[in-house]
Amino acid sequence: MTLQGRRDIAGYAFVSPWIAGFLLFTAWPFCRSIYLSFTSYDVVTPPKWIGLVNYHVLANEDPLFWKTALNTLKYAVIAVPLGVVAGVGLALLLNSKIRGISIYRTLFFLPSIVPTVATSAVFMWILNPQIGLVNGLLGRIGITGPAWLADSKWAFWSLILLGLWGVGGSMVIYLAGLKDIPVHLYEAATIDGAGAWTRATRITLPSLTPVIFFNLVMGVIGAFQYFTPAYIMTQGGPEDSTRFYALYLFDRAFRYLDMGYASAMAWVLFAGIVVITWLLFRTQRRWVHYGGG
Amino acid sequence: MAGANRRLIGWGVAAVLVAGIYALPTRSTDEMAARKYPNRIPVRFWHMWSAEWKAVVDKIVDRYNKSQDKYEVIALSVPGSAADTKFLLGSIGGSPPDVMAQWNPVIPTWAQEGVITPFDDLMSPQEKATFDHDAYPVVKAVGAYKGKIYGIAIGINLMEIYYLPQQFRDAGLDPDQFPTTLEGLVADGQKLDRRDANGHLTHLGFLPGSYQQMTPYFGGGFYDPSRDKLTLDTQQNLEALSFLAAERKRLGFDEVTRFQAGLNTQSAAGGWPFITGAYSAVVDGQWRVEQLAKYAPKLVYRTAPIPAPVGGVAGSGYGNGNFMVIPRSAKEKAGAWDFVKFWSGITHPERAAEFYTMGGWLPLSDKVANAPIYQAYIKKYPQFKTFVDAVRSPKIQVAPPVPYQVFVNDQVQKAEDFALRGTLTPQAALAGLQSAVDEEVKRRKEMGLDE
Repeated sequence: MTLQGRRDIAGYAFVSPWIAGFLLFTAWPFCRSIYLSFTSYDVVTPPKWIGLVNYHVLANEDPLFWKTALNTLKYAVIAVPLGVVAGVGLALLLNSKIRGISIYRTLFFLPSIVPTVATSAVFMWILNPQIGLVNGLLGRIGITGPAWLADSKWAFWSLILLGLWGVGGSMVIYLAGLKDIPVHLYEAATIDGAGAWTRATRITLPSLTPVIFFNLVMGVIGAFQYFTPAYIMTQGGPEDSTRFYALYLFDRAFRYLDMGYASAMAWVLFAGIVVITWLLFRTQRRWVHYGGG
Repeated sequence: MAGANRRLIGWGVAAVLVAGIYALPTRSTDEMAARKYPNRIPVRFWHMWSAEWKAVVDKIVDRYNKSQDKYEVIALSVPGSAADTKFLLGSIGGSPPDVMAQWNPVIPTWAQEGVITPFDDLMSPQEKATFDHDAYPVVKAVGAYKGKIYGIAIGINLMEIYYLPQQFRDAGLDPDQFPTTLEGLVADGQKLDRRDANGHLTHLGFLPGSYQQMTPYFGGGFYDPSRDKLTLDTQQNLEALSFLAAERKRLGFDEVTRFQAGLNTQSAAGGWPFITGAYSAVVDGQWRVEQLAKYAPKLVYRTAPIPAPVGGVAGSGYGNGNFMVIPRSAKEKAGAWDFVKFWSGITHPERAAEFYTMGGWLPLSDKVANAPIYQAYIKKYPQFKTFVDAVRSPKIQVAPPVPYQVFVNDQVQKAEDFALRGTLTPQAALAGLQSAVDEEVKRRKEMGLDE
């Protein structure tokens, strides 16, 4: 055997645990779930083929499916753009050349590395209507804060607020994007008499659009799979105001043992994400500017 | 030559590493657990208790292992959040426990799917006759599905009233004349409520139980065993929901939410707001008696049955509990059944009575309740007697034994939530409950599932 052949074998041997894990625990369940979505399957007894019934019921007879899909869409439409604006804004601020800037960057990035479960648990205390920090501060200026997570008018917005807490993750990517913008563009613009606003809107933002596009796509995908904070903080309540699609899918799969139905839900979600991502890619020609393009 | 040796060693190390990674997860639970009695037949027992409760379970298991020389029960505490999934996957994968203690609403679903085995197949005719004759109706109901026994209760949970007599006296009420109607208790509760200058609740006189808990007292309920039918949108259920909604409206939904949010509501380790006097009267379970003895031994309190409304059904209530199930694919069913008999006291109630006192659990039968050790326990904790008296009642209801029980429970809670927030009228909330369950039943039919 040639040296290259031996090296190939060694390489495959080393990655084989990952390949085996991927095939067994990702690829196989992924493919299997297509079949399961056409069956009635309770995990214990063998799946029973029922054709398109799961999809038919989802579309026509399950109001919670539409309610949760709408909640999720609403979350994506509000939280993702907000996250982009907050992330870009923060990155612009933290791109300044001031003393101790690396400390500020670290401080703003830190929340994004705290596990979501821990953040959610802490926010449950922060948003406690009686003894929470937020209502405590509001109380000092004479405002009686709402019962954030227990009030159906506020619970959804509380989760949006929590989403912004982790904006440091995307902020770092925006910051890297800002560092990538050639300095000579700013120099030329300044010589031409462009002010700060013009430089920001004509150079910074257009140059940052590939990064914004990346974060937008990732944010949309993440938003459609939104689960953990709602599961921990509100369990879908109050009054279904925070019952997101993935939460309902989880209930169907693991609480009601409706794995066939849940598989159908997962594939509808997958199809939805693919379509929206495709639409986003279709729009990028209009607003994403790649250097040298 | 040296280079060739180095390569050989390198390959050897690589091969060992790769093989090691594949070999890592091969040790089974049995191998890891230290066997005290390696020559006996192992009986694997899963449960969900932890902390102080786990110590009680271990003690009972130890007592069983010392009581005979054929089986060794090996107990494993499984995290509650993953217990059901672990059990199902174990059952499908051929590695289930031999017996499991449960309290989740699993019996109808697991029985219908054939995951658990009916105890009828394991009991001798004599044992079956004893159980049928001795066990309280609620004990039988908790474990029953389609006429068979799938679960043996080892501790029923009931909710009754806990109250602080001194607070009643301070409000000019006589704690010795505790209200005998729900209306009377609500009226007393109003006299005990306290608000601050801004009108915010600082103390609650009486907080009723949940909708599921309170409905039987109004003559309602969510299942009619005589017709084997769900009963959702009924007049009695409406009366119960209307009562709870009216009471919450009087207090102010937002007010109750705020009030409760400021309290320590941890269920264990003495974190119960009743201890700090936040409520004068509250509905809670019998396990609080044991906890109060441990964490607030000086607290002067009493218990009383939840009073029914005028014209309602006294002595009813809603029960659930801890019960044993045996998987159909269990390897050692005989040993598992032997252990269940030992703990539950079907065959030796006097011996088992002690186990019930260890966890502050309600008895399986009068034979357990009348055992000297159990009577001594009641004498030690007189507040417990309210629950022991109540558990005998044939009017206590359990969760509807339908395979989609979790779904029904979720919908009942949702209806309660909508009505108590005032978003929907009780009528509309119940109509929504009926409609959601009807849709689910229809969906199950279309999928060819059992109703």
